[in-house]
This record gives sequence, C-alpha cells and structure tokens, in this order.
Amino acid sequence: MGMIRSIETVTAQRVIAGKTISVSVVQRKQTPNKLSIAFNAVLGLLKGMWLTLTYFWSPEKVVTRMYPENRDTLQLTERFRGNLRFKFPNETAHKSHAALLEHITHETQTLPEVASEWIRDEDPTRWYHNCTGCSKCEEACPNASIRILTRQGEILEDREIDRFVWRLDSCMFCNACVLACPWDAIEMTGGFENAVYDRRLLVYCLNKLAGPRINLIQDEQDAAVRARMIDPRERFGGPIPMNGAGLPNLPPVALPAPPDVSTGAA
Amino acid sequence: MSVQVRTLDDLLHAPLDADSELTTQEYLVNMGPQHPIAHGSLRVVLRLDGETVKHVIPVPGYVHRGVEKMCEHLTYRQIIPYTDRLDYLSAIMNNWAVAKTVEKAANIPTNERIDTIRTIMSELQRLQSHALWWGVTGMDLGAYTAFLYGFREREIIGEIFEETIGARLTMNYIQPGGLMYDIKPDFAQKVKNLLPYLKGCIEQYETLLSGNVIFQERLRNIGILDGKHAIALGCTGPVLRASGVPYDLRAVEPYGVYDKVNFNVVVGEVGDCWDRYYVRLEEMRESVRIVEQLIDNIPEGPHATIRYNEEIILPEGLHYGQVETARGVFGVFIASDGKNKCPIRLHFRSPNFNNLWIVTAIASGWRIADFISIQSSLDLVIPDIDR
Amino acid sequence: MNTALINMAMQTTLAAIEPRTIAQRAAESAHENLWITAGYFLAAIVGVALLLSFLGMALIYIERKVAAAFQCRIGPNRVGPWGLLQTVADTLKLVFKEDFVPQMADRTLHMIAPFLALLVPVVLLALIPYSPALQVADLNIGILFITAIGGFGVMGILIAGWSSNNKWSMIGAMRAGAQIISYELSATLALLVVVLFSGTMSLTGIVQSQEDGWWIWRGHAAGLCAFIIYLVASTAELNRTPFDIPEGESELTAGFHTEYSGLRFAFFFLAEFINMFTVSALTATLFLGGWMPFHIGDWTSFNSAMDAIPPSIWFLGKVTAIIFVIMWFRWTFPRLRVDQLMHLEWKVLLPIGFANLFIAAIIVLANAYPYPVAGQ
Repeated sequence: MGMIRSIETVTAQRVIAGKTISVSVVQRKQTPNKLSIAFNAVLGLLKGMWLTLTYFWSPEKVVTRMYPENRDTLQLTERFRGNLRFKFPNETAHKSHAALLEHITHETQTLPEVASEWIRDEDPTRWYHNCTGCSKCEEACPNASIRILTRQGEILEDREIDRFVWRLDSCMFCNACVLACPWDAIEMTGGFENAVYDRRLLVYCLNKLAGPRINLIQDEQDAAVRARMIDPRERFGGPIPMNGAGLPNLPPVALPAPPDVSTGAA
Repeated sequence: MSVQVRTLDDLLHAPLDADSELTTQEYLVNMGPQHPIAHGSLRVVLRLDGETVKHVIPVPGYVHRGVEKMCEHLTYRQIIPYTDRLDYLSAIMNNWAVAKTVEKAANIPTNERIDTIRTIMSELQRLQSHALWWGVTGMDLGAYTAFLYGFREREIIGEIFEETIGARLTMNYIQPGGLMYDIKPDFAQKVKNLLPYLKGCIEQYETLLSGNVIFQERLRNIGILDGKHAIALGCTGPVLRASGVPYDLRAVEPYGVYDKVNFNVVVGEVGDCWDRYYVRLEEMRESVRIVEQLIDNIPEGPHATIRYNEEIILPEGLHYGQVETARGVFGVFIASDGKNKCPIRLHFRSPNFNNLWIVTAIASGWRIADFISIQSSLDLVIPDIDR
Repeated sequence: MNTALINMAMQTTLAAIEPRTIAQRAAESAHENLWITAGYFLAAIVGVALLLSFLGMALIYIERKVAAAFQCRIGPNRVGPWGLLQTVADTLKLVFKEDFVPQMADRTLHMIAPFLALLVPVVLLALIPYSPALQVADLNIGILFITAIGGFGVMGILIAGWSSNNKWSMIGAMRAGAQIISYELSATLALLVVVLFSGTMSLTGIVQSQEDGWWIWRGHAAGLCAFIIYLVASTAELNRTPFDIPEGESELTAGFHTEYSGLRFAFFFLAEFINMFTVSALTATLFLGGWMPFHIGDWTSFNSAMDAIPPSIWFLGKVTAIIFVIMWFRWTFPRLRVDQLMHLEWKVLLPIGFANLFIAAIIVLANAYPYPVAGQ
C-alpha cells in the first residue's frame, strides 16, 4: 500500500525510429512514510467528496435537456443531417404559406418539414423541383438507399424524374447524395422523429411531381402545356416493393392521415 | 513468450487443474458477450481459480460485419462512412486514414487550410474519445458519477462537431482531397472558448479519480506490460506508450500539420494500468496544447481541392497509409488494379485488434477485479476489433 | 420523505401519552384483556409494515434524486409531481414481471433467500427507539441482539448465490460472506465502545445516557473514532459502494441476485435500502443521541429552543444526514478489490478498533468526560 503523492511529468528527448522526439515521462513519487500515506489518502477521498458536493449544491450545472418538452426551443444546427428532402424553390414564395405552416406546426406539434407536406395546395408550382434524374446521388450512395426512376418526357422528349425513392430504413446519413448532386436538388434537414409502426412507411418517394426541372417548366409559356409536363406523385405509392403500397401477402399499410388543411384555411 | 496456435475448442476443453487437497477446482466462465465490461459485445472466456484469473481467452467476432469485404464494392469516397463505424470514437481520424492513403496514391493535393482543420478536428476528437474513456474507466471501477462527467464533456465537444459537420458520432467529414464542409466563421471562437473549460475538467478528473486512493490502488502495478512485449504483440497508441516506447505517428511520421506544432509524446515508465490511465490524461492536455497553437491562425483557402464527383482511380499496386487514432495506429491497406473505382482488396489495421490480445499475456495471475482494470485501461472499441 | 415524516409524526402523537414501548404496553394489557394485547401486536406489525413500504419507496426515490444531483442530472421527473410516483411505478412493474427460476437452480432455497435477506432489517427495525414513546420493543440485551441478528443477514445472500446455480452469483455470494463476516467484527468493536460509555446494552438506555452530550463528541477521540469505524464497517456490511464487491456491476453483472427477477429481486432491493435505514438509525441512536435534542452546556434558552423540536424529528434528521453521507460515498468513490477490502478490515480497522476500545475503557475508568454523567 502506498499513495502516489504527486504525479509529475518530466520532459526529455528520446530516439525512436531514427528520430529524436520530445517526450514527457509520467513519473510517480512514493510517499515516504505510512503516516503521510494515510493523511494523503484521507485528503484525497475528502477532495473527491467535496467535488461531488459542489455539483450537489449547484442546480445550474444540470445538463439534462427535457425532450420532448423542449420541442419548441429545440434548435438543430443548420447542417444537421436528419431526413433527406427535396428542395422546392417555389415553396416559400407562396403567400400565406409561412403563416399556415406555423399554424399547423403549432396545432399538431409537428416539425415544419412534415407539416409542410400536409398543406394541400392546388397550385402545383409549389412543388417544382431541381432534380433532373441524373442518378449521381444513386451512384454516390454507399448502401443503395436511393433509387432513381426516370421516365420519357412527353413534351421535352428527354429523360426526367419519375420517382425519387429514398429508403430511410437503410440510410446512414452520410450526406454523400447531397454532396454529389450537381443540381442542388436535395438537402438534409433537421427532422429526426422518424418512428413508425410499419417499416414499409420508411421507404418513400421524395418528389411531389414527376417532371422536368423547374427552369424547363417555367420556360414554357403555355399554361396548358405546363400542366401536361407534370404528374403528381404520392409520398407512398409506386411500383417499388416495400414502398408503402403493400405486398401481395401483406395487409395494406395504414397511412397516417394528414389533418385537413388547405391554403384557404389560413 | 512463445506463440502457440490453438483453437477455441482446444482451449475450452483443455484439462483443468483437478481437485486435490492443495488446489481448488478451476472453472471456466464467460465474461461477455453480454456483460457490462464487454463494452459492446466482446466475449472473453476466463479460466478462474476462485478469484484468480488463470487464463484469458478473448473470443472476438460478435459484431463482425465484413466491412473490408463490403469495401471491395465501394468507391473510395463510399468507404469513408464505413470507417466511421469501426472505431466510432475516432471517426474523423479513421476518415483521415483512408483519405491520406488515397491522396498519396492518387496524387491528390491538399492545402494548408485543409490540413490544419483536419488536425484540429482530430485533436478535438481525441479529447472527446479520452473524455469518454475516462468516464467509462470510472464506471468500470465502480465510480458511476465519473461516467456522467466524462459524457458531459464529450457532448460539449459533440456540439462543435454538430455545428460544423452536422453529425455527432459518424461524421464522414474528411474526404479525399479535402473536407465535407468548410468550418463556420465562429468555429475558431467557439473552440477557443471551450479550451479553458476542458482544462478545468481535466483538473476535476484528477481530483475525482486520480487523487483517490482506492482508484490508485486498483490501477497501480496491475497488469504490467513491458516495452519489449508491447512491441512484440503489436500494441500501439497509449498502451504502447505507457510501456515506455515513445512511438506516436504524429511525431514519428508527421502528417497534417503535426510537424508545425509543439507537443510532447507522453510515455510511462512502468507499463501498468496506472501508466495507461495517466498517459491518456496527459494526452488530453497535449491535445489541448495542439489545438491552442493551431486555432488562432487557420490559413485561408478552399476546403476541397477536387470536385466531389471526380472519379478517383488509384494506380495499380499496393497502397498503405496510417494515422494515430485515439487508440493507436489505424492503417489502411488498399490493393488496386489501376482500372476500377473500387479497391480489389482492402484491409484495415485496427489498433484495438492488436491491443486486445495483450490481455492474455498480462491478465493471468491477477484477480477478476484486476482484469476489469486491465480491460478498461486498454480502452477497447469492439466494432473496431471485429470489423 | 414527506409522507414518511407525516406518518412518523402521527404515530408519535398517537403514542406520546406515556413513554413506554409497544411491547411493554402489550405485556401490561395482557393482565386485563388479551384482545388489547393482540391489538398492540397488530398495531406494531402494521406500523412496521407501513414504515417498511414508506421507507423503501422514499429511500429509493431519494437515492435516485441524490445521485442525479451529484451527476448534473434531474433524476426521475416523469411519473407524478417531481417524479414522486416513479418508485410506485417501478414496484408495479416488478410485481407484474415473471418470477424466473433457473432450470438447474435449487428451487426451494431460491424462493426462500429473498425473504431471509429482508427478514433481518425488519427485525432490527423493531428495536430502534424512534422517539421516547415510539419503539416496538426495548430489549435489555439490545446491542447483543442487534449483533446476533445482523450477522444472520448474510444467510440470505449466501443462499441466493448458491441456489441460483450461476458462477457469477456464487462468486458474489462468497465475496459477500467473507466481507460481511469480516466487517461484523469492526462494527461490533465500535458498538462495544458505546456500551462501555453508557454502561447499558438497552438502546433506550443508550439514548438516555446521552442526555448531557452525544457520544460522538463526549467520548473524546474514542467516540469519534468509533463512529467512523462503525460508519465504514456498516457501509461494507450494506454492500454499498465503495464496498459493493458482492454486486460489483462491472465485474459480476449483478452478483448474488443475477438470477432474480420480479418481486424476488424487489425484495433484495428493498432489503438493501431498509438495511441502509437500519444502519443509519443505529448509528444515530448510538453515536448521535438518537431522539435526544442537541444541547450546549448551560445555554438554557438555546437548549429549550432545541427541546421544542419533537424528538422524532430530531431522530429523523440525524438518520437523514447519515443516509446522505452513505449515498455521498456511493456516488463519489470507486470500488475496492476483494483483497484490499480484507486488508482494510484485518490490518487497518480491526487494530484501530481494538486500540480504540482500550482507550475508551481508560476514559470510562478515569471518568474523564467533558460533562459529568448523571447517575454514574
């Protein structure tokens, strides 16, 4: 039994692998006699107890964060890598959209990313996107969580995005798809509350419209032609197995019903 | 120390010391894969005589995911998020190892800014990793409060990572030829505010555990590993340095901007659990020193030298690169055929795998409780062993 | 703690008619009406049972809150106001869990062990003088009884470890056996110091002997030394950190109760906390004057102010302070190793205990107290 009274490091030069490097050597000093060992031992114990007692008396040092009560004040950082999401450049340009979103978020206690998709807006311009269906993200994905389905465009006679299928269940949020995207069409958002009761709901379609890029649509002057360029796409649905739509021997998935809200409500 | 190759079956069915008047019956017991000391799922079979450990048989493989095989089908950029999941406490340093190897082989340049930020991030991660290790060591030895103090510091550094990178654990930050994101303008100030706090925390660590007589008695002169055997068994990192061998890649083969900063390689004298403990604690101080020297003058420049979608094909041949993670030398061995975007063979030289096997050499003859001290002083991360 | 406090205060007021123990009342009433005797017995049993459940709930809640405060956390705060009902919820959970018995276990012993473990602290609970009027039984050989029954507590643990047929349980039980029996010695030596000072083995007698001052400071250094030895030794007997090697979570998963689940695990858990209360109550009784208020010499106004606080509150306050210290130990210190534990007992505490007993004897012979002892 011997108490290490003090721990000191001594700087020295040592040679290793042909190089001289400066090292600090951890040294220990033995306490000379039993009396001072006992004294230092008790002192050390008391110092430790004093440290914990200072924490006991200071409630301001509590680091606990009360989730989910702190949802209102929860600030995720701008770069936080949560759910993958399409960027919709026209989305915020819509009048009363922000107010409605705030209203729904407050009423239903949902994150804005989710609530935003509930807003039933007859105007499809809101869902115009940047995606061209180039599949760079699909190539970049390390574990094949993205599947790009393209279709032959009716008006522009070019390949265009039909469905952007993202498998949340196998995604590891490495951000490779976002970095790989040459068109800035997708982003990682702060949504992280992804719990569902059926894992088929973890595979879904990110785009709201099948069709060409936003600028190609907006270049077209004729509204009737613009309407023919695009087709609506559901969040769940499509030919991909496990894509929420159901499998032959499985009961259909009960999709969560969004609250009945429209732009007129706000 | 001779090397004998024996299967697990041989070891488990080896004759145990029989009952007699003088010796007690030996017995085998599984410590893990589900056990608090397993720190995940490491199985260790102990041959015990009462409280005394007679032989230790580590049985890894319970988190084997075949990462190296998977990587044969991935591009070099795609390999990087997988390295996050090996030694998850040294994610950034593992990323760096792959990036360093690829950059060297494919002649991808980096600039001063990239190197500086990589070094700062690595040292912050080392601090984070050692803070967690300190807490876990306390918990293993029965001081549960230490665990939460260690975790608190880890989370505070995690906030900085989250702001810059967007993730706290699996960062995927260092890419071949640069970084995923540039740092934010207030990054330097935030880190600078953090450093004095971390220094204070290290002092608290000293008070709570280092100065505690029980803690010292549990670690001092337990599980002594001398430098010769440490080298023979392939140990690296704090485990090797505690045995008195000042081998630290940051000093011996400097990468990043480690050759431009002043820091000491911390070595121990005895090679026991206490030295392994205290070397890590001193390393935290050295890490703070390194970050202090770099944080004030991060050079200007782009945060990546090549486009993300640029195709990386390594020349034909064998490529190896290594970095010093919080646990030791993490090496990446890549065999490339010069045509494909993917390696044809890949191997990770993980520090924990080599550090694990010394328990057989040093834990025999000690008590069960000492085995716990030895295990926590090695600071093993199991997914890195099993890969 | 509020509920237990109110409960205690109510019982105090009900029983504070005359300062007699419940056992005495029962014995007296036996001459008149046996039904009244039975009523007293029933009251004692119900009282102890109520105290037991309140204590269990309150102490577990307090332990968790105290641990949280030491660790920069909030602690339980979801069930009920300030998480007060958390322990109730946990108990309900344990009640409804499967009572699992390993296939190769010794079923009978496996079933009995938790009850044996709980029996000891419950018996000891009956001896403690909570206030002048509230005590279930006052034995004239109180200390002897406590030592004898206290030593019995290790049986439950040994049986639990042996009958589980699990190597970890067995190691834990063996460790517990060695530890508890060893530390019993030091604890007893410290108790003997108080017996020497007070000249009686009855707990009420010991409390009354501290009217002029508590033994912790009136017995000079010997009293303080005995107090520290008793606190350390009884922490070891409780199997709490830093002496929790029989359970040693990181070493033995859960030690002797690895194979227990549901209500039987709850019994071990409860036994640990009731034991903690019992030990703290005994420490308060022996060294801190039990329910005696704090008096300073001739300061009559101060003394009368102290007297205004009810004795049961004094007792409870002292017990709470000691419980806090034991919890404080737990949330600060790491755990010892087996041989270090034995070293501490046999080479440090035991010699000091003997020397201390000797010094105490000299003090008693010389009658060298700071204040004269009435009636001696």
